[in-house]
Amino acid sequence: MITLENVSKVYKGDVTALSDATVEIDKGEFVFLVGASGSGKSTFLRLVNKEESPERGRIFVAGKDIATLSSWKVPYLRRNIGSVFQDYKLLTNKTVYENVAFALEVIGRPRHVIKTQVPAILDLVGLAKKVGNFPNELSGGEQQRVSIARAFVNRPLILLADEPTGNLDPATSVGIMRLLDRINRTGTTVLMATHDRSIVDTMRRRVIELDRGSIIRDQSRGVYE
Amino acid sequence: MAIKLDYVARETATNLTRNVTLTLASILTVVVSLTLFGSAMMLNQGVNNANDRFKGGIEFIVYLQPGSTQEQQDSVRRDLEANPDVREITYVDQDATYEEFKRLFGDSPQLVETVTPEILPPSFRIAPRVQDPDIVQELGRQFEDKAGVYDVVFAFEVVKRIQETFNKIGVRFLLAAVLLLVAALMLILNTIRVAMFARRREIEVMKLVGATNWFIRVPFIVEGIIQTLLGAAVAVASMTFVIRPFIDELSQDKVLPIFQGFEVTDANLVFTNLLVVVVAVVIGAIGSAVAVSRFLDV
Repeated sequence: MITLENVSKVYKGDVTALSDATVEIDKGEFVFLVGASGSGKSTFLRLVNKEESPERGRIFVAGKDIATLSSWKVPYLRRNIGSVFQDYKLLTNKTVYENVAFALEVIGRPRHVIKTQVPAILDLVGLAKKVGNFPNELSGGEQQRVSIARAFVNRPLILLADEPTGNLDPATSVGIMRLLDRINRTGTTVLMATHDRSIVDTMRRRVIELDRGSIIRDQSRGVYE
Repeated sequence: MAIKLDYVARETATNLTRNVTLTLASILTVVVSLTLFGSAMMLNQGVNNANDRFKGGIEFIVYLQPGSTQEQQDSVRRDLEANPDVREITYVDQDATYEEFKRLFGDSPQLVETVTPEILPPSFRIAPRVQDPDIVQELGRQFEDKAGVYDVVFAFEVVKRIQETFNKIGVRFLLAAVLLLVAALMLILNTIRVAMFARRREIEVMKLVGATNWFIRVPFIVEGIIQTLLGAAVAVASMTFVIRPFIDELSQDKVLPIFQGFEVTDANLVFTNLLVVVVAVVIGAIGSAVAVSRFLDV
């Protein structure tokens, strides 16, 4: 589903974010990206949905080489990739329902599709009773659920999560992880960057560890270390 | 992918009302610049129309010396009458010239007071049979050196002078209009930029979930065009109901004879208004297109 071949990414001022990374992630896998801050986890995720382009190497997503993807096709790539962030990135002037519907609206989904899919996904993430609330009326965990609903409402092949539990307490984090696990069970490949030791150790999924841009460990059913 | 009309309409309306002051500033600049531009165009057309009129009855005037004898005058008249190129001769005596003078300078009584009929030159006003300016000029020149002749003035010299004057005015008007249009363009660009900044979170999410570039851009470009179109509407109204009646009034004005014969036809007005609308759309489209392409990367 996601393949990196000798990928290097260097930012301005010779900051190596990723160096000669080669990795293959299959469809339906759940993968943790771990490592210290600045080790290249976020860059890894940003390369997959082409927010960044690598200096060297090739990246395949769903069988397509995205390095050669022309810029007008990038939106279509991103429709297959859901993204979740530490800071949720919700629109504060829109309700829970509108936030999720917005994601479908702007990719031109017909209204009847929006009307059926949005309530269904909000029910799945356990927010059926909060559809009319605004983000600032929700707890952090609930906001992250809205963000996950928005990322998943279009049923993407891949879900990228960049520290989704970074702002949440342990109990709430467990709830979010259950949700991501459930999404993974529908066949969606989940790639999650995290610092949360207990989550990684509890889930026992594949772990890829980065250190200053290099992959130093790739372990199935791994731990945080 | 089809971009939904109601989506664009909704987004554009939100954008326009979000920055009322900045939006108004750009619209007003568009109004002023387009009105200037349109006025310059209409004035130019008015001059052309006026010149067309002169062309029909092109004439020259043989001014006689105020102290010329009857004999000299008769001699000039005989020569004129004998000339096959002359179609019609009108003699304007000193009293008639004085009346004309009083009419032309009615707003400067002091000037009129210093003048008496005796010091004004009587004249022959000539309508020639041919209209070629060169032949007319040659014809007129024959009388320049005749005894008792003070001066020969050609109508087209006057026309030329009017034309030159208005060309100068027109060029300055156009220059000012162009400068203001550039200002309008930059204001539009900045309005759109501010609108995009205000909506950067939404734009970020749109990119994230895979909205196409055009889907994101179109509401902003529509916003820019609507701003200039609103400006154009006001400019068209002011040209139709203020500037054009004003030019008509000037052309009737006996005090300012330079405007006599000026005429802005309905066709001129429609053409100018259409041009103003086209310029407005172009300015709006360029301003907002530059804004979205510079500040809205993938």
